[in-house]
Amino acid sequence: MTASCYITFPTTFFAIRAESILKEKGSSFKMVPVPRSISSSCGTALMCACDDLSTIGKNLLENGLEIEGFYELEESGLKKPVAKELSIDDLESI
Amino acid sequence: MNNELNLYFDNAATSWPKPEAVYAAAEKQMRQAFGNPGRSGHTHTLEADRLVYQSRENLSRLFNINDPARVVFALNATDALNIALKGILKKGDHVLYTAMEHNSVLRPLGRLRREGLITASMIPCNAEGYPDLEYLERAYRTETTLLVINQASNVTGTIAPLDQMINSAHKRNVNVLVDAAQTAGTIPIDVKKEGIDMLAFTGHKSLFGPTGTGGLFVRPGLNLAPLREGGTGSQSETDVHPESMPERLEAGTLNSAGLAGLLEGVSFILNTGVEAIRDYESKLRKYLYASLQELEGVTLHGPPSSDQCAAVLSFTLDGADCGEVGYILESTYGVICRTGLHCAPLAHQATGTFPQGTIRLSPGYFTSKNDIDYLVSAVKEIAALAGN
Repeated sequence: MTASCYITFPTTFFAIRAESILKEKGSSFKMVPVPRSISSSCGTALMCACDDLSTIGKNLLENGLEIEGFYELEESGLKKPVAKELSIDDLESI
Repeated sequence: MNNELNLYFDNAATSWPKPEAVYAAAEKQMRQAFGNPGRSGHTHTLEADRLVYQSRENLSRLFNINDPARVVFALNATDALNIALKGILKKGDHVLYTAMEHNSVLRPLGRLRREGLITASMIPCNAEGYPDLEYLERAYRTETTLLVINQASNVTGTIAPLDQMINSAHKRNVNVLVDAAQTAGTIPIDVKKEGIDMLAFTGHKSLFGPTGTGGLFVRPGLNLAPLREGGTGSQSETDVHPESMPERLEAGTLNSAGLAGLLEGVSFILNTGVEAIRDYESKLRKYLYASLQELEGVTLHGPPSSDQCAAVLSFTLDGADCGEVGYILESTYGVICRTGLHCAPLAHQATGTFPQGTIRLSPGYFTSKNDIDYLVSAVKEIAALAGN
C-alpha cells in the first residue's frame, strides 16, 4: 500500500508560485492534475512524499502562500483513492 | 532600407527591433508550451503557467514589487488604465489628471464624467509639458480620490515631477495612478520608493514585448472591482469571480505567446540595466535635439534638456505640413516616424501644436548616432525644399 500527499491551492498563481519557491530550495515534489477524489478550486496540485509534507507545507506558509488544503491519498487494490483532508495544525503532528 | 542603418524612429508607438530572444520565445511558446495557462493540469499547461508566472516575477523585479500577485496582465497600457480607472472610481469621486494625459486616460474619464458618475479636473501644463504644481495644490476637493499622472509625454517626452506630485496627493490621502506607457523599461521605476499606488504599463514599447501585452500594478490594500469577469481556471463551481489577485482582475485566456516574449524583453532590460538604457537614450535625444536645432525652419517642442525627457522629440517645419514631411521621410529616405496628433489633444494644446500636430521622432536602444546623422541630413534637405 502506498500513500501520496497533496497540497491544493485556491488559484493557479499560487500553485506555480509554490513550485517556484520550492525549486529554489531543492525540495522533492511534482506538480500534477488534482486527483478526482480531492475537491480543489485550482486544477493543479503539488504531490510529495507524505514524509515531506510537513516541511514543504510550512515552507510555503512561511512564504505567505495561500493554500486550500493538505491531503493524504491511499491507494489500495482496485478501490478508489480516499482523500483525507489535513488541517494546517495537523502539519505539526505529521 | 539601407541595411547599415536602423531608420525606425517610431519606438514611442511600438519598439523595433526586439531582442532576438523575444521572437524566439513567442514562437517556442506556441509550438511547445502551448497549453491554456490555469486550465487543465497537463504538462503543456504547466509550461505555459510557468512562463506567465516568470513574466510576473520579472516585472516585479523591474519595478521593485514585493508580491508578483499584484501584477495583473492586460492587453496594453490603455487596457490597464481602463482596469484601474473603472475598478477604483466610485460614484461621486473627483479625479485630477494632467494636460499631458493620453486619450487612454481622457476617454475613460470623459465617459464616466458624461454619465454623471464622477467629476474630473485637468491640471494645466506649460509649453514644455510641465504640470502647474501650484494649480495642483489648489485643485483638491474633499471628494478627490485619484490623481492620474502621465510619467512621460508621448508628444514631447517631458517627464513629470512624480515625487512632488505623489507627495502632494498622499498628503490628502489621494491615490496615484501612473501611466508608464513611455517610461517602463527606459526610466528606472521603483513603486515602493516612489509610493506609486497603481502603475499601468504596456509590453510592446520599451519593454520590448509583443503587442497585446501590458499590465497593471496595484499596491497591496487597494481592492479594485473587476472590469471583466469570466473563466480563470479556478473556483469553477461558482458564478462568483475569484477575489484573490491576480485572477481578481484577469478573466479569459491570457496572451501566453505574448507574455513569453515579454518575459524575454524584460530579461533583456534586467541584464542590460535600466540605468544603462536610460543613459544611452538620453544621449541619443540630446544629440538629436542639438542636430535638429541647427537646421533652418525647424521648431522643436518640449524641454531642451534631455535629462528631463524620455527619448521622444517633436518638431514642426516652417512652410511644411507634418503629414507631408512624414511621407517624404519614408518614401524618399526610408525613415519611419509618426506625424500629426498623437492621441493626446490636450498636450498638443499645451505645447501650441494643436491642431496641426508634430513630426514625432522616437529613437530606441537599438538606434545609433549614425542613424540620427542620416535622419538629420534628410530633414535638412526637406527643410530646404520647403523654402527654409
